[in-house]
Amino acid sequence: MDVIVSTLTIFWLLLALSFILMKRGLWIFNDVAKGLSMFMLEKALGPASDFVSGRPGSASTTWIIHGLVWAFAASTFTFMGLWLGHDATALHSFESWGYHPESSELLYAGRLTALFGAIGMLVVGASLYALPKLCGTHLASESNATLVSLLWTLSVLLMFVGSQNEQILSITILPVANLLLTLASTALIINVILTVSEATKEIPFPAWLIVYAFIGNIAAVLAVFASGAFDEGVGQWLLFHLAGGTFFFCGLAGVSLYSVSVGSGNPLWSKSLVAFTLFGAVITINPMGSTDPSMVVDLFSLSSNELDASSRDVIVGSFLMALSAIPIIAFSANMLVTLRGSDAFVENPDAPGIAELNLGAWMLIPIAIGSLFVQTDALGGVNELTGISQSIDLMAIWLVMIPLSVGSALNVLPRASGRHQLSANRSRWAFWMMSGGAFLGLLITMMSDFTDMALTESMAEQGASINMELRKVGSVMFYGAVIGAIFHCTNTISGQYRGRIMGGPSEASLSSIAIESYSLTGPTSIRKILASGATLDTEVSPSEQSKEEGAATEL
Amino acid sequence: MSIEVPSSVDEFIQGEKEPASSGVVVVLGFVSMLSFLILYGILFPGRDMPVVSEVLPMFEGVFDSGIWFFLIGVIFGAFSIVATMLTEATSE
Repeated sequence: MDVIVSTLTIFWLLLALSFILMKRGLWIFNDVAKGLSMFMLEKALGPASDFVSGRPGSASTTWIIHGLVWAFAASTFTFMGLWLGHDATALHSFESWGYHPESSELLYAGRLTALFGAIGMLVVGASLYALPKLCGTHLASESNATLVSLLWTLSVLLMFVGSQNEQILSITILPVANLLLTLASTALIINVILTVSEATKEIPFPAWLIVYAFIGNIAAVLAVFASGAFDEGVGQWLLFHLAGGTFFFCGLAGVSLYSVSVGSGNPLWSKSLVAFTLFGAVITINPMGSTDPSMVVDLFSLSSNELDASSRDVIVGSFLMALSAIPIIAFSANMLVTLRGSDAFVENPDAPGIAELNLGAWMLIPIAIGSLFVQTDALGGVNELTGISQSIDLMAIWLVMIPLSVGSALNVLPRASGRHQLSANRSRWAFWMMSGGAFLGLLITMMSDFTDMALTESMAEQGASINMELRKVGSVMFYGAVIGAIFHCTNTISGQYRGRIMGGPSEASLSSIAIESYSLTGPTSIRKILASGATLDTEVSPSEQSKEEGAATEL
Repeated sequence: MSIEVPSSVDEFIQGEKEPASSGVVVVLGFVSMLSFLILYGILFPGRDMPVVSEVLPMFEGVFDSGIWFFLIGVIFGAFSIVATMLTEATSE
């Protein structure tokens, strides 16, 4: 049976239906649906909505701060998982408390908290600010979006618990966490659709990317269940990658493209490339992510099945994954060219977030190509590259998704909260620690994976000692990501109270030779003005010139 | 008549405010130190890097792995985040 084609057909139909409904509305039921939805978002919550402020930008700020704290937790779990990969009994002292930590469990916790806690919350946080701005309106309900962040955080907390202990009091934890996450997602979708319905201008493509990030995720779940593919290994694998291609890829692309333009001050390079990114993301299968769909199995409490794809599924799946190169390259190129603009940064190039966006855009293509090889290998049942699938998955998280989400969030946060981060310098240090730690740590771990694969292939009886040393160095290097996350958290939290107020005088571009004002006495070129020491913040004031002939000054 | 000009100010001057990057430098030094300690096993083959419980015997059976050096840093980081939240929210 062609699982992939039938499921994708339903998925595309659902997306088309949602687009038509958003464009055409619900005929005479429009006003009733809007009123009822607003009632559910605010009044139906009773006194709960009074606990949070409905100030514009407050929801975005809350989500972003939660996301950064989860980034710290995720990096810690991943570090511990990597360490236990070479020293399995390192945390044996916890056994006295009845806790038996294992490398695979901690890495699983790291993946769950990074995907749903850090990346998910940062993307949602940045979206809640970017979407209304792109539509020229306000978020439908700030207070509801703020409250929902608590529900989302609770679900991520349960995910961590569930990853370590499957059942507590005979209740399976991960499906409960998924239920809470679905509830929070539903509230967010209603909020997003209501916001889009109040758009005062034509909705640009990055906004559609954000909208389809929310809708696509639910559509993917519905499609897999409607086609009956949820009970098959291929269906579970497809759901994992459809969720990755919609919520994560579309969401990251939407907020990153918004942030890269706002952060650099340059106009977005190509509108048609954003369109390619959007259509490509929903039509193709994103190859990034794990080859093992156990996360879907656990979250939906399904029966685990082997990835046993038919030959037609292998052909269709491989073709659609290869096709995803188009949106990925389009997105990356658009980001990089927009960042560079016309060789001039209108905004401060050292602003927090810019470096992260640059890194994420650079790393996207090589990691996507690596993932494509690994996924095609797994889907075809060859399984020659399974040994590096975990490292590639971690690289996709820590070198593409985390940098893009953190970069977007750091760009959006000052605009949403009204205050900059406490220190741009510390933010830059955090970037180097996080990116350097993740890059070197995971690269060295991958080297060790390759050694393992070579030893397995040669059927060596003993592992190489250098392999363990490599894993040790890799895990220690990854510790930089933990330190970077701590820096980001403290810098951002302090910035909310003591950071420079947004819109205040810019200090970054001032230097000893910069001039504050420039008198324009006649036509001149911008080059000459800049050569006189003017900066982008210098005030140019035209001074009047008299064309009358001079005469003796009367005394 | 000549005026005596001191050749130096001879005054100790110290900034009032702490630069934001000073803490970063300390942490960077600390992490570098831990990274260099990895070399211990390479320089002294057959002898693993000392762990907390070897230096402080009262922690024997608890901190028996090098991971605890790093986890102490994580615990310190977690407390610094909580402390930042509390102090920033309550300071005037």
